[in-house]
Amino acid sequence: MSINRKRLGALLCVVVAAIAVASTAGAASQSTPGVTAHNVKIGGTFPLSGPASLYATIAGAEQAYYGWVNAHGGVNGRTITDIVKDDQYNPAKTVPAVKHLVETDKVFAIVGSLGTAPGLATWNYLNNKKVPQVLLASGDAYWGTCTATGSAFRAKPYCSKPKPWTMGWQPDYPGEAKIYAKYILANKPHAKIGILYQNDAYGQNYLDAFTKALGSHKSQIVDKESYNYTDSSSVVGAHVGALAAHGADTVVFFSTPAASIAALATIPHVPSWHPLTVLNNVSANRIFLLSAEQNGAAPNGVISSSYIKSNTVTPNDSAMKLAHDIIYATGNGTLKHEFDIGDSNLIYGLASAWTFVDALKHAGSNPTRTSLMHALRTLNESSSNKNPFVYPGMTVKTSSSRTFPMEQLILEKWSGSAHDWKSFGGVKTSGS
Amino acid sequence: MERLKTVGVERFVILAILLAGAIFLLVGCLTSTQFATFTVQGVATGMAYGALALALVLIYQATHVINFAQGELAMFTTFVAWQLIQWGLPYWGAFFVTLAIAFLLGMGLQVAVIRPVQHRSVIATVIVTVGLFILIDGVVDWVWGGEFKSLPQPFGNGSWNVGGVEIQHLYVGMTGVVLASLAFVWALFRFTKLGLAMRAAALRPAAASLAGVRVDAMLAIGWGLAALLGAVAGLMAEPTTGIFLLPTFMQQVLVYAFAAAALGGLESPIGAIVGGVAIGVLQALMIGYTPQISSQLQLPFAFALILAILVVKPNGLFGRRQVARV
Amino acid sequence: MKRSIPALVSVVAVAGVLVLLPFIISDYNTFLVGEVGIYFIAVLGLNILTGYTGQISIGHGAFMAIGGYTLAILSRDHQMNLVYGTLIAFALCFAAGLAFGLLALRLSGAYLALATFALAISVTQLPLQYSTYLGGSLGVQASSKTDHLFGWSLFGVHIPRWSLPGPAVLTNKWIFGVAWSFAAVLLVLAWLILRGRVGRAFRAVRDSEIAAVASGVERGLYKTLAFGISAAYCGAAGAIFVMANNGFAQPDEFNVALSLTLLIGAAVAGLGSLWGVLVGAAFVGLLPNISTSIPHLGGHQDVIYGAAVIVVMLVAPSGFAGLLARLRLLRRA
Repeated sequence: MSINRKRLGALLCVVVAAIAVASTAGAASQSTPGVTAHNVKIGGTFPLSGPASLYATIAGAEQAYYGWVNAHGGVNGRTITDIVKDDQYNPAKTVPAVKHLVETDKVFAIVGSLGTAPGLATWNYLNNKKVPQVLLASGDAYWGTCTATGSAFRAKPYCSKPKPWTMGWQPDYPGEAKIYAKYILANKPHAKIGILYQNDAYGQNYLDAFTKALGSHKSQIVDKESYNYTDSSSVVGAHVGALAAHGADTVVFFSTPAASIAALATIPHVPSWHPLTVLNNVSANRIFLLSAEQNGAAPNGVISSSYIKSNTVTPNDSAMKLAHDIIYATGNGTLKHEFDIGDSNLIYGLASAWTFVDALKHAGSNPTRTSLMHALRTLNESSSNKNPFVYPGMTVKTSSSRTFPMEQLILEKWSGSAHDWKSFGGVKTSGS
Repeated sequence: MERLKTVGVERFVILAILLAGAIFLLVGCLTSTQFATFTVQGVATGMAYGALALALVLIYQATHVINFAQGELAMFTTFVAWQLIQWGLPYWGAFFVTLAIAFLLGMGLQVAVIRPVQHRSVIATVIVTVGLFILIDGVVDWVWGGEFKSLPQPFGNGSWNVGGVEIQHLYVGMTGVVLASLAFVWALFRFTKLGLAMRAAALRPAAASLAGVRVDAMLAIGWGLAALLGAVAGLMAEPTTGIFLLPTFMQQVLVYAFAAAALGGLESPIGAIVGGVAIGVLQALMIGYTPQISSQLQLPFAFALILAILVVKPNGLFGRRQVARV
Repeated sequence: MKRSIPALVSVVAVAGVLVLLPFIISDYNTFLVGEVGIYFIAVLGLNILTGYTGQISIGHGAFMAIGGYTLAILSRDHQMNLVYGTLIAFALCFAAGLAFGLLALRLSGAYLALATFALAISVTQLPLQYSTYLGGSLGVQASSKTDHLFGWSLFGVHIPRWSLPGPAVLTNKWIFGVAWSFAAVLLVLAWLILRGRVGRAFRAVRDSEIAAVASGVERGLYKTLAFGISAAYCGAAGAIFVMANNGFAQPDEFNVALSLTLLIGAAVAGLGSLWGVLVGAAFVGLLPNISTSIPHLGGHQDVIYGAAVIVVMLVAPSGFAGLLARLRLLRRA
């Protein structure tokens, strides 16, 4: 009897709910989710805990920038709320987190989420729902090659269908790898090259493009060593020892930070070995180099590349002073400390948040998801509208033929902790 | 009589295998400096695996439960050491204070969350340790998360050159510290009244309690000792696991410690150490000499090997066959 | 057997609530309850292994991985529809479970636990190694052309195609429906298996191996069989788990934490109680998600989850089933 009554109650609920849904459906289609007269609500997923939590400061910097923008009047009279969810870099956690952001928090767009696999796990869902998935923090080639439509869609090997609602921000890994290959061929034509790469899509993305760019010189690769993301530093060290044993006089590390540091720290342990060392941008954060020095590495002369400013290289730059103020305004001790020791993830976060705010400004006084995507596809951050946090002389720009907002890099050389990174050779284009 | 004989033969075969392994390593080290480098590194990391495996064995002997939280406890105490160093203690000062804290923490946990369940259900006790695993992870992320941290190198970055073999101070130091703590634990069990009481409490709890041993207290001390050994393993393994002190750094070590304990036998302290060193050396040599077994296949390969050993010897190399009770 | 009529009523009541639930709660919560359905299937399977034969596994996430990848690959390469894919995942994991169960016969207690743990860690390395076929760290994406609930053809053999279009996107209601439909079917299957001769044999093996051998139960056969069944259930759960992840299978999804989650679910459930399995599945499916939204504890859901696991085990060491039994005793006394 009691069950019957319960069921009756439930049925009543259904009817009520159905009516409610039906009556609000019309209204919902009128306005854009996440956008009110005074606020724009966005969200993103980051590994705030777990093994990849070193990247959590990116989210912190982005929120700091939005906070600063809000304190200065917001964008077109709207403040920005950025909801950050922890996915521990596990796609099975990214999916519920993104669904929660879209369906319950009803965010306007997914902005800046970190990681390749988390991005891949959600891009079908977001594109089907026509929710912008933008400024993804990952340099995989997908975020540019799959997102174009029409004739620019040339990504059959990567993806079967265009993903017009998805885009990245930073230069792609293959483009970066090509610049290193050209540098080595120009400056050390008879180099015997040894490569250490992470045994996954990330490392493979770099490795393939690097090998291809060497062209007929690819026979100069004397050894390729792959390691696992979870490998200990002694394992990574053993692989670097193998590079030396194969007679490499030039080593290229397509690795993630912890492994890169272990690799750098191993070099001095190999007797009378002083290879030319190339380190990918992901590992070239100042704090990693300092860490490597503490752990016995002698990284002076290491070559890498950059696309954003550094508050330790040019502390008197007006943008870096602004960055200081923005980060210090949060009052967050961790962020302040990371800023002081030169964690470039913070500047990365500020630069990418700047691009989002720029796009939002250009998305019209009543931004919709479509107008946001249009603004992001026609970015032009040059002259008076220059992104202050990217490297001088580089522009954040997109068009129907240019789908990566950042397609420029500059080579740099580590000159010791006191002197930091020194750039050289002028701005280079990484785009394909 | 027949059974005794087969046990004797088995012992003999295992000893022969170990001896053959040792001779193989010795000859290898003498003929190739590269081989010697790999072996030294393998022995040192194996020592850390062994120390954690021994902690597992101590608890298994007493409670018949695998403590899943053993690795995370060691991770926690390593963060405690980091904090102590931040507060100004020198490395070795922090080291010993950390060991004391680990001991108390182990005892405290036994009293607070293990004692209430350990006599009621084995599965529940295992799940409590799984809960501890998750809880400790969460607490460390909460208290110490979000910033890059690294511990100072306990033995510096130098190395000795012995007959062309580059031997890092770190590896010698690791081996020495682990051996010293093993000697301490061994002496405690072998020569002190407390040790005798603990052994009695673990092996014959009913009889021990009749003889006036406070079994519960002994079990708590056992957890304390295990946590202490784990802390040693954590602090010694940390420099080899990665550059940053991350909340996940002990998980890989725990996996190999599990393997070491399974290989040596969950009831054999010597087996844990021998198993740890065997796995450490095997791992180092595999990386050095079998590039065709890529890094992705090392874990599956190592475990296939251990599974094969367990299928032949279900209680590990040093384990005694248990007589099933009806 | 006096209880069988109230039991039937409660099963019908639960089924009724589940049928209505998607229309009452929000779309996102429908998704979460769908995930509970996935855990329900897996915990049910693990319960058969641990509860009825006393073998402890901390590696059944491995079978979820095998099932999940089976589904994703069949869909990617053959556009096989997801329901057939789940059935094949079920069958394949049954075979894999039998094979591992045969090896596991030699092991017992803690050693079996360690061996299953090793299995869980090893299996997720394989996609990284054989990345051309298994997708590596980029995972395997099920085909979006897999849009029919039934119907599929392979090598020219046409299997009946019902004109029931499924969604191109795996909607939350669809996930919920698939998860709980499979849960219902597999529950009936488990009931059929456990109530008869096989169930008696399982219990005999658990209660006393030697006595079971003496009384003519073929210990090896039944232990292996229980392993196979539990693996098959986890395989089906893994297949639906991948659907819930937008049809995307990737190694990190099947990490050790997943295996531990299943074990926690089984322990919270306790032995041989349908209610227990439901509570266990809800515990592991909902708690980590709910605790993220507790104010001031935002990024620290692990603290709450870990503490909750410990407290539950201290309060109810034999799980919810044990708690129910105790309550029943109290009421009678």
